[in-house]
Amino acid sequence: MILPELSWQFLYSRLAWAVVLAALVVSVWPPAWRLPRRALAAIVAGSCVLMALPGSASGAWHLALAFQYPSGLLLGLCAAALLRRWRGAGAGAGALLPVSAAAVLAVLGTVLYLDAFGLLSRGWYYAGFGPNGAPLVSLLLGGACAWSFVQGRRREQAAALLGAVALFSLARLPSGNLWDAVLDPLLWGWALVTLVVALVRRVVRRRAPLAPVVAPEPALQPAGAESYSPIKESS
Amino acid sequence: MEQPLPPPAASRRTVFACAAIVLALVAAEGARWSRAARAAAAPSSVEAIVPGAVTLTELSRTMVPMPKNVPSAHASALAALPGDRMVAFWWAGSRESGPDVKVYAARWTDGKWGEAWEVASRESLGKALGFGVRRIGNPVAWTGRDGRIHLFVVATGLGGWAASRVVHMVSSDEAARPPTGRRALKAPAGEGIDFTVRRVLPASPLFNTSTLVRTSAVGLTDGGWWLPLYFELGIKYPMLMSFDADGDPTWAGRIGARTTTLQPAIVPVSSTDIRAWMRDASDERRVQHARSRDGGASWEDLPALALHNESTSVAAMRLANGDFLMLHNDAVEGGSSRSTLRLSISQDGGTWRPIADVASGSAGDEFSYPTMQMVGSELHVTYTFQRRAIAHHRFHIAIGKGI
Repeated sequence: MILPELSWQFLYSRLAWAVVLAALVVSVWPPAWRLPRRALAAIVAGSCVLMALPGSASGAWHLALAFQYPSGLLLGLCAAALLRRWRGAGAGAGALLPVSAAAVLAVLGTVLYLDAFGLLSRGWYYAGFGPNGAPLVSLLLGGACAWSFVQGRRREQAAALLGAVALFSLARLPSGNLWDAVLDPLLWGWALVTLVVALVRRVVRRRAPLAPVVAPEPALQPAGAESYSPIKESS
Repeated sequence: MEQPLPPPAASRRTVFACAAIVLALVAAEGARWSRAARAAAAPSSVEAIVPGAVTLTELSRTMVPMPKNVPSAHASALAALPGDRMVAFWWAGSRESGPDVKVYAARWTDGKWGEAWEVASRESLGKALGFGVRRIGNPVAWTGRDGRIHLFVVATGLGGWAASRVVHMVSSDEAARPPTGRRALKAPAGEGIDFTVRRVLPASPLFNTSTLVRTSAVGLTDGGWWLPLYFELGIKYPMLMSFDADGDPTWAGRIGARTTTLQPAIVPVSSTDIRAWMRDASDERRVQHARSRDGGASWEDLPALALHNESTSVAAMRLANGDFLMLHNDAVEGGSSRSTLRLSISQDGGTWRPIADVASGSAGDEFSYPTMQMVGSELHVTYTFQRRAIAHHRFHIAIGKGI
C-alpha cells in the first residue's frame, strides 16, 4: 500500500479538475456551432486560472470537498474530448465513451460500490492497494493500451487509459488505489447515462415504422450494349 | 463494395513513445516491488500472563481543562508519552457539527493537566489539504516508537457525518521541519505540540467518504499499529487499517460481514487470535462481537454479548492476568441509553460481569464515548461528561488480590 504525497495530490486536484471542468463547459457547446480554437483555449485557460486561485477561491477547493479527486481515466477522457474539439473533429469521430466500454465501467462500478456499501462484503476496493495484484493489473492494462494505440485501434480511449495507469504506476495518483485510477462515481454515472441512451435509441429504432420498400425502376437495356465475352460458347 | 480503411499505421516515433512509457511503468513498479516489505506484522498482545485476580482502586477523578467560552465537548482520545505522561485529544465547540468545532488537546504531566490548546480546525485542515472541510469530528491518537504522535481526525466533505474522511496528522519533528508540500499546524508557543497534515486516508471508492474513526489503535510487533475505522452511510460496518512503524498504511480490510456494527474496540489475545467488540446499531441492542484467528486477515461474526448497547461506543483492553476489561453504557432502571458508564470484566470475552460504575445519573444524563489508556501501572479513563466536558478517572491496577 503505497500512497501519493499530499503535495502531488494538491497539484493533481487542481490540474485534473481544470481539465474536467473545461471539458464539461465545452460539452454543453452545441456541436453544430463552430468553436474557434481561440475560444477553446480561453475556456481551458479560464478553468486553469479558476482552479489555481488560492484557498476557498479555488474551484478545486469546493470540487475536492465534494468529490475528492477525479479518476485518471475521467481526466484522460476529458482531455481527449478537448483535443477533439481542438482538432475540429465532428460527430463522425464516434462516442468518446463507446457503449462496450461504458458497459464494462457500469458493471465494475456497480460491483465495487455494492461492495463499498457493505452489501457484498468482499473487500474488493482494498485489493486496489495490493502490493502485487494491483501493480500487475496496472502493467497489463498499460501494455494492452500501448499495443492498441500502436495498432491504431480506439486511440483516444487507449491513450486515456494508458495515462490513467501511468499516473498510478509512476506516482500512485490519485489515491494510491488502482480502482480510483480507473473509476470514480462521476465516470460511472457517465457510463450509466451512455448505456441508458444507447438502450433508448435501440428501443426507438425498433418501434419506428419500417420505410416502404421501393421497387427499382425497370432499367432499359441500351441497344447494342450486350455484354461481351471472349469465351467461346460451346456448341 | 467499399472496403473499410485499415487503421493508420503508427509512426516509428509513436511506437518508441509507447514502448518507453510501458518500460517506465515496468521500471517504476519493479523498483517499488523489490523494496516492499514481505511479512505482515502481528499485533502485540499482553506477553506474560500474571496469574491472579485484579484489584482496581480509584486514585482520582477530575475534568480535563476546557478552552475558554466553549460549551460543548465530545469524543476524547488518549496517547501515552514517554515518562508516564500522556496527552488527551477531543473535539469541542458551540455544538456538534458546528462551524467552530475544533480539535483540542491537553497534556497530563506530573499528575495534572496542562492548559488546552487548539490542534486543528476546519480552516487549518482545509488550508493544509488544499480543499474544504465542513465539519470536524472524532480524534484518535497513537504514539509511535519514535515518540511521534499520529493523530487521526474525522473531517467531513459536503454533507453530514456520512461524508466523513479521516485526516492523518503527525507531531513534532515533521512540524519543526515540514516536508515539502506539508503545512505545519503550529501550537501556541511553549504550550502544545505542533502537527503537520500527512494525508487523507483513502478508505472508500465513493468520493472517499463515509469513513470515520473513534476507538483506540492497537500496537504491532514491528512498531506499527492497527487503526480501527468504520463505514457509515445508512449501512454501518467496522474496518481496520494497518500502519508500519513510519506511519504509512500497509493494508486495510473489513471486520466481519454485519452491516449494523461500528466503532470496533480491538484487543489482541495472541499474534493470531484477535477480538473486536462493537457498538450496535441494530434492533438487537447488544454489544457485538467478532473474532479473527489469523492475525486480523479474516474475521468471523460471533453472537452478540449479553451486554446491553443502544448504539453507544465501547472501549476494551486486556489486563496482565489475561482478563478483558470493557467500558460500556448499560441499561439501568430509570436511566437512559448513556446515563450509566459501567466497567465490566471477562475471562473469555463472551461472558462479562460488572465491577464498577464509573459514572451514573438519571435519564437524559450522558457519560459516553469512553477511552482507556495504561500509563505505567495506572489505568486512565476519559469520557464525555454531559456533552459539556471531558472527565478523567485514574485507577491503580494490582494483580493477585480479589476484587
